Amino acid sequence: MSSDGPAQTDLGFTDPNPTLGPKYGVVKAFAIPIVSVLLAFAVGGILIYFQGVNPFTAYRVLFESALGDSDGYLRVMQKSTPLIFTGLAVVVGLRVGLFNIGAQGQLIVAAIGAAWAGYHFDLPAVVHLPFALGFGMLCGAAWASIAGVLRAYRNVSEVITTIMLNSIAIALVDYLASRPFKEPDQPLSRTPLISDSAALATFGVIPSGFVIALIVSLFFGWFLIRTTEGFRFNTVGLNPNAARYAGISVKRTIVLAMAVSGALAGMGGAVETMGVVGRFEPAFNAGLGFDGITIALLARANPIATIPAAILVGILRTGANSLQFETGIEPEVVDVILALTLLFVAAPIVSRYIFRINAKRKSKSKGRS
Amino acid sequence: MHRKLLVAGLAVAALVLAGCSSSDDTATDTTSAEATTEAAEETTEEAAEEEVTEESAPAVTMDDSNCAAPENYCVGLVTDLGKVDDKSFNQAAFEGAQLAAGEIGAFLKYVESTDPKDYMANIGQFVAKEYDTIVTVGFLMAEASAAAAAENPNINFVGVDQFQGETLPNLTGLIFAEDQAGYAAGYLAGLMTETNKVGAVLGTDTVPPVLYFGEGYRNGVMAANPEAEVTVVYHEPANAFTDPEWGAAEAKKQVTQGADIVFGAGGGTGNGALIEIAKSPESGKSVFCIGVDIDQYNTVPQAQSCLLTSAEKKLVAGTSALVLASFDGTFPGGNFVGATGLAPYHDTEDAVPAEVKTEVEGVIAGLLDGSLETGVVK
Repeated sequence: MSSDGPAQTDLGFTDPNPTLGPKYGVVKAFAIPIVSVLLAFAVGGILIYFQGVNPFTAYRVLFESALGDSDGYLRVMQKSTPLIFTGLAVVVGLRVGLFNIGAQGQLIVAAIGAAWAGYHFDLPAVVHLPFALGFGMLCGAAWASIAGVLRAYRNVSEVITTIMLNSIAIALVDYLASRPFKEPDQPLSRTPLISDSAALATFGVIPSGFVIALIVSLFFGWFLIRTTEGFRFNTVGLNPNAARYAGISVKRTIVLAMAVSGALAGMGGAVETMGVVGRFEPAFNAGLGFDGITIALLARANPIATIPAAILVGILRTGANSLQFETGIEPEVVDVILALTLLFVAAPIVSRYIFRINAKRKSKSKGRS
Repeated sequence: MHRKLLVAGLAVAALVLAGCSSSDDTATDTTSAEATTEAAEETTEEAAEEEVTEESAPAVTMDDSNCAAPENYCVGLVTDLGKVDDKSFNQAAFEGAQLAAGEIGAFLKYVESTDPKDYMANIGQFVAKEYDTIVTVGFLMAEASAAAAAENPNINFVGVDQFQGETLPNLTGLIFAEDQAGYAAGYLAGLMTETNKVGAVLGTDTVPPVLYFGEGYRNGVMAANPEAEVTVVYHEPANAFTDPEWGAAEAKKQVTQGADIVFGAGGGTGNGALIEIAKSPESGKSVFCIGVDIDQYNTVPQAQSCLLTSAEKKLVAGTSALVLASFDGTFPGGNFVGATGLAPYHDTEDAVPAEVKTEVEGVIAGLLDGSLETGVVK
């Protein structure tokens, strides 16, 4: 019966438990991510400590270098921008009950698509900017749709297909960057620089891509909660059988959601190409899609919460190298902290523990009054 | 090593004690912990620079707080998406910098890049502290190095494996004559072959260094053994360096056709060839392989049994020479051609006759002093 609906994977953000009272959802939404991040920092601190460095000094260096001056702000925003998009991409998938592990593949396919649209054509900026951005999104959407269609019509797990499509995407963009789209007369695998008319400007310390990312996040905050289509997404995610019974086409919703998810990841790749890198060069996009998974789970599938989650990751990634410069701690400690955060966010044991304490406290205060 | 452990252990113990004794007084806690950690930090750095500090007689600069002062010489190194212990380019360049820093009593610090977008920022950290020489590793950093060198004429930049199209007086690209390394490897192969058939499996000939390695190898074999038959195959340009399956298949084909020595050069593709040869039951007895760029005995342990040597770019010596030149005020600018040669024989030490070793050493010396030409047209 439910063979063509999404699997009911409990990722911990759609399980309101009525027995824990009405405030449960709100508390949980804030408490779990914050506690998870703090726990991850604590464990990370212990690791730093055993390398002979005071964790407080290390964290101070990490944050000061990222937030200490305007150059730091700029880099944090540059690094956060694609992460907001890939975080959103994963969020949209989660809402429909799909786990899009393929944001990385969708992002790089879009990044090279936007680069091609950016250098191959000579158009006025008014046309060129939206064209390159839109073409990148289209590439990302198309790439994700392969997994969406297979999920909806053949019930192939999107987790598997998106992971495999990541590998295919890497091979595809390597081929494109080293053969048809390669910048001539130089040895590196990369495309030519995009035209100025397709470049996203930076105003002072604010990259315009960051502003676009904020607007898109807010839009999805509205879209998922206030629109009919958003309601369909959430309903299919919560219970595909009920959604079908209510007359929602589950297949159509899955395909659409995957395409939207891919378009968002694609937008991240396009904005990165057009605003920061200026061309496609494979190594420049490493890991952005995978950080999106951490961010989406940290944001508990809330589009607006994606913004602070992405900025946090952006800060850590910006400060990592100064951390090594100042203290000798290897920059990979940031990966450890992010992995621990993901572990704590995803592990139900943390939330259970928090709410058991909460429940105890409640019963105590009730006893007193 | 024991000293390092002891220091770390003591530091940890001190921190724990500091934390326990003053848990009710957070202010004291923080300051004492910080003081201890600063001491621990210094000792850690000291341990990292052990070679440097113990070998150098002159007064050693222990930190980079005052690099601008003439008596303090500071050397910085930025890796190219890798670690300083990657057993490859980054490590070799770092060892070269260590060697030079030890000789001149300089302070040495490194930062490992994790994102190409950070190249400029990572170089910038050393620039802000007014480091005297900054080493950047790998051709991917070429543009960032050139930009930083143009902005900071008072700092010398060493670009490891970065060919310079334009000459800046404060930027020297450390490059290598790949044809010479290939020639030396080919010469050894020509002397060693029993079947009079040798092969080479390479990345794409559209990348000039790969072509020079391959053609140098071919000429080297012919010079040593005019009767030998050389088969050199190049991958097509796409995925040229990431196709170990193709490398393995081509290596197998060459061995099946009678080749007893195969030169593998071209990232993962070349490594695939080496590993395939090592799988042969005759590996290290009558079938051998030759690696490339650096001593691949360390980077491809699966190929150790067949690995005769590697056509090596002497990165340690080259980097060290340029850092020293920067210190001496004889920094060349433009391009500096580092030495090439062959890596140690390791497990195949006994398989190579002494007279072959001597002859190959003579060839390498001839290539270095210019008395011998490889015949490769560049």
